[in-house]
Amino acid sequence: MNRHFQPSAFGASSTRDIRRRIKSVKNTRQITKAMELVAASKMKKAQQLAVAGHPYAALLCDMLAALSHRVERLEHPFFAARPVKTRGILLITTDRGLCGPLNSNLLRVVTEIQEPTKYVCIGRKGTQFLGRTKRDLVADFTVSDKTPFAEIRPAAEYLIKLFLDGEVDTVEVLFSYYRNTLVQVPLLLPLLPLVNLEESIERVRKQKGAGESAVKRDDREMLFEPDAAIVFEALLPLFLNREIYQCVLDAKASEHSARMVAMKTAKDNASKLLDSLTLEYNKARQAGITAEILEISASQMAQSA
Amino acid sequence: MPLLLEIVTPEGRVYSDTVDTVVLPTAQGEIGILPGHLPVLTQLEAGELRVQKGNTQESLACGRGFAEIAGDKVSVLAEQAINIAAIDESAVENAVRRAEEALKEKQTLAPDEVERLEGVMRFAYAQLDLKRRRRG
Repeated sequence: MNRHFQPSAFGASSTRDIRRRIKSVKNTRQITKAMELVAASKMKKAQQLAVAGHPYAALLCDMLAALSHRVERLEHPFFAARPVKTRGILLITTDRGLCGPLNSNLLRVVTEIQEPTKYVCIGRKGTQFLGRTKRDLVADFTVSDKTPFAEIRPAAEYLIKLFLDGEVDTVEVLFSYYRNTLVQVPLLLPLLPLVNLEESIERVRKQKGAGESAVKRDDREMLFEPDAAIVFEALLPLFLNREIYQCVLDAKASEHSARMVAMKTAKDNASKLLDSLTLEYNKARQAGITAEILEISASQMAQSA
Repeated sequence: MPLLLEIVTPEGRVYSDTVDTVVLPTAQGEIGILPGHLPVLTQLEAGELRVQKGNTQESLACGRGFAEIAGDKVSVLAEQAINIAAIDESAVENAVRRAEEALKEKQTLAPDEVERLEGVMRFAYAQLDLKRRRRG
C-alpha cells in the first residue's frame, strides 16, 4: 500500500506516523481491556468473600450483645479510654497502581492528620508513601489477593498489642469503604478503645442488613460457661480481628472495582482516539490520492498543450 | 420440635440444617443438646460435634470456638469446621507434621504463634481421631 503515496503535503511520512500511532493505541486498548476483565473477575470474588463472612459477624455480634449487659466490663483494657498522645492507624492501600484515585484519596486523608501518629501498613503503595514523607511507619504486612483470614490475623494482633502496651492510645483503620462499584470513599474507622460497644455492634448489624433477628428470641435467663467474664474476654479479640478482616475485604473489593472502572475508562478513551486517528488517516490517504491525480492530470494537460 | 443447627466460620456458613440432637465438645466436657434446652453461651474445645438426625448420625470436626443455644437454635462459631466425610487424611497428616516441625523451635517463636500452631494441631488431631475411629 505504501507505494501509492508519493511524498507531498500529506505524504507517506505523515500517514506512516498515523499508522504507527494507531497500532500503539490498539495495543493499549487491548491491554486495558484485558486488565478490565481480570479486575472484574477479581472484584466478583472479593465481593463474594465479603458476603461469605457476614453470618459469622452477625453471630459474633449476637453473642457479644447477649453478653455486654451482663458483664462489668469497665475493667477490661479495651474499654479504657486514655488521653490521646499517639494515634495508631492501620492504613490499607493497594499493592499496585492503575486503580484511579483510590490511593491518592486515602493518602490525602493521611496528610491532613497533624497529631503524632504511628502507622501500620497493608499494601505497598501506602508503605512507599509513608516512607517518602518520613512518617512513623512501625510495621507493614502483605496480604495476597485471596485474603485468607490467617493473613490478617498477625496484623490485627500486632495492632492490639501496640494498644495494650501503651505504644498507641487509639487504633483506627483507614481504608477505602466499598459503597458500590462506582463509589469508594476513604473511611477512618475508630476501633479501640471500644468507647461504645453497643454502637459498634449496631453498626455491624446495619451493614449486614439485620434480617437475622427473625428467629424467635428466647427470653429465659442465659447461662454462661465457664463464666460470662471469661467468655466475654475470649470473644472480644475475635470481634476486633473480624472487624479488621472486614475492612481488608472491603478495601480489596474497592481496589478491584476502582481498577475495573479506571481500565474501562482507559479502554473507551483508546477506542475514541482510535476512531479519530482512523478518520485522520483516511483523510490523509485521500488527500494523497487527490494530489496524485492532480499531478497526473496536470502533466497530461501540459503534454497535450 | 427439631433443633436448628448452624455452624459458621470466618470464611462462610458451613452447616445449616434442622436436627434432633447435638453433642458439643465444650471446655468442660461434652454436653448434649435437646430441643427446649436452656439458653447457654459456652466455649468449645477442638473436637467432635455429633449430630443426630432421624436415624442417621453425622460427625463434624470443629476447631476452638463458641456455641450459643437460644430458642431451639444452636449456633456454633468456630475458626474451622469440617464434615467427617470431607476429611483428607494425608493433608491433615501433612499439616500436623508442619506444625510439629514449627513447634520444635518453640523458644524462637512468639507465644501467640505457638498458641496458633497448637490450635492447628488440636483441630488436626480431632480430625484424624474421628476419621480413624469411623473406619475402625
